[in-house]
Amino acid sequence: MEKKEKKFEEKVTELEKIIDELENGNIELEQSIEKYAQAMQLAKECDEKLKQIEEKVNKIVSENGKLEDFDLME
Amino acid sequence: MNNEKYLSVGALTKYLKYKFDIDEHLRSVFLKGEISNLKKHTTGHYYFSIKDENSKINAIMFRKNAMELTFEPEDGMKILVKGRVSIYEMTGNYQIYVEEMEEDGLGNLYIVFEKLKKDLEKEGLFDPKYKKEIPKIPEKIGIVTAPTGAAIKDILSTIKRRFPICKTILFPALVQGENAKEDIVRKIEMANQYDIDVLIVGRGGGSIEDLWAFNEECVARAIFHSKIPIISAVGHEVDFTIADFVADKRAPTPTGAAEMAVPSMYELEKLLKQYTIRASESMIKKIKYHKLWLESKKGSFVMKNPMILFENKKQYLDTLLEKGTQNIKYKIDAKKNALENIKKTYLFKKPQIIYEKQKEKLKNNIIKLELINPLNVLKRGYSLTYSGNQIITDIKNVKKEDPITIRFQNGEIKAKVIEIKEEKYGKEREKI
Repeated sequence: MEKKEKKFEEKVTELEKIIDELENGNIELEQSIEKYAQAMQLAKECDEKLKQIEEKVNKIVSENGKLEDFDLME
Repeated sequence: MNNEKYLSVGALTKYLKYKFDIDEHLRSVFLKGEISNLKKHTTGHYYFSIKDENSKINAIMFRKNAMELTFEPEDGMKILVKGRVSIYEMTGNYQIYVEEMEEDGLGNLYIVFEKLKKDLEKEGLFDPKYKKEIPKIPEKIGIVTAPTGAAIKDILSTIKRRFPICKTILFPALVQGENAKEDIVRKIEMANQYDIDVLIVGRGGGSIEDLWAFNEECVARAIFHSKIPIISAVGHEVDFTIADFVADKRAPTPTGAAEMAVPSMYELEKLLKQYTIRASESMIKKIKYHKLWLESKKGSFVMKNPMILFENKKQYLDTLLEKGTQNIKYKIDAKKNALENIKKTYLFKKPQIIYEKQKEKLKNNIIKLELINPLNVLKRGYSLTYSGNQIITDIKNVKKEDPITIRFQNGEIKAKVIEIKEEKYGKEREKI
């Protein structure tokens, strides 16, 4: 997993924080425009992440600690 | 043959029943054994036998008592019952009328459970302050449960339905039987070596013995020491296991655990949409506010009358200028005066000046004379009134019908007194 990119939850939390700041209205106009752009960017990134229908594979950890694909036996 | 000494079956049975019923020991019997030949009658009564290796007794549990049962009796089940023994006259069979029934062995387990629960609680393992927060949006979920069966299926399908972008890692574990507890502990420890956001530990529903691994102390401690937040999911809605108490969160079923672990994609999308709307709205509000502010400032007195910004300064400048000029003027005047004085003293010595002075004096006197000439007063609109040659200064000097003469600056009028009105204060002009 690429650790550099922020986790989805962190992004959402940050988004929440920025929106709180914007709504409280204690920041200056220039700064709020910056924050607004930041919020929009975060929302876009989160939205994109949600839309990423990656072919998710369930994994199983075998006895020797190896990760293997896991398919449910019906 | 005299048959009087022969009893009827009914009489004998009644007698036997009487004997049973008055016996204190038989009135309250505690009995243990195994259920066999169980029949659940439509009336709700249970008919069955209780047996052990040597004997068997018929048993009946009436609906009223059967309804109180906390488990479903089955053939072969080891049970503990309390009841009374009596005879059913119709068949002449003696049987036990079961009032209470519980599973044998459970009592023991229950005591163990309660003790462990109390001990761990005392130790603080259930303390809310140790509960880790379950992340709202996990990216990787670990699952410690059996690789087959309803539990893993429910968990995976729920995650797929709600939040398909989430990755799952299964740590297959025995969840039943002798080795279950060690395996569960090992898998929880193993999971802690992975980068996992939340761990679901559980299994599907079953009997209390089936679930027992989740009541083991070592499992409780493994859950407590896990760095990853744990949702317990032991599939039994009503009963809590020790694992449930220690876990950071307890789900009633594996499906419930999956629901707790991941957000719904749909909800999340809605939330994001809401966030963008909120951000935009607050931005629009902010800009609107600044616009309004700007408008209000534009409408302010200063902005409407920008000259007041420099008017004061201009005025000040004017005053300064004036002061400056005056200063110079004063200086020039002073020089001029000095010159004039010099001229005067020089001129004063001339006789013509004396003459001029006398002439001036005379002229002034003439003016003065002019000022006291009464005719000059007449010029201003005043008149003199005579009676004969006498000027009338008092109304008492004339009578009604007296002829009078009024002198103006340029002639006179002859008139007659029509009326005399005396005024207390001041004079009143006579009317003609």
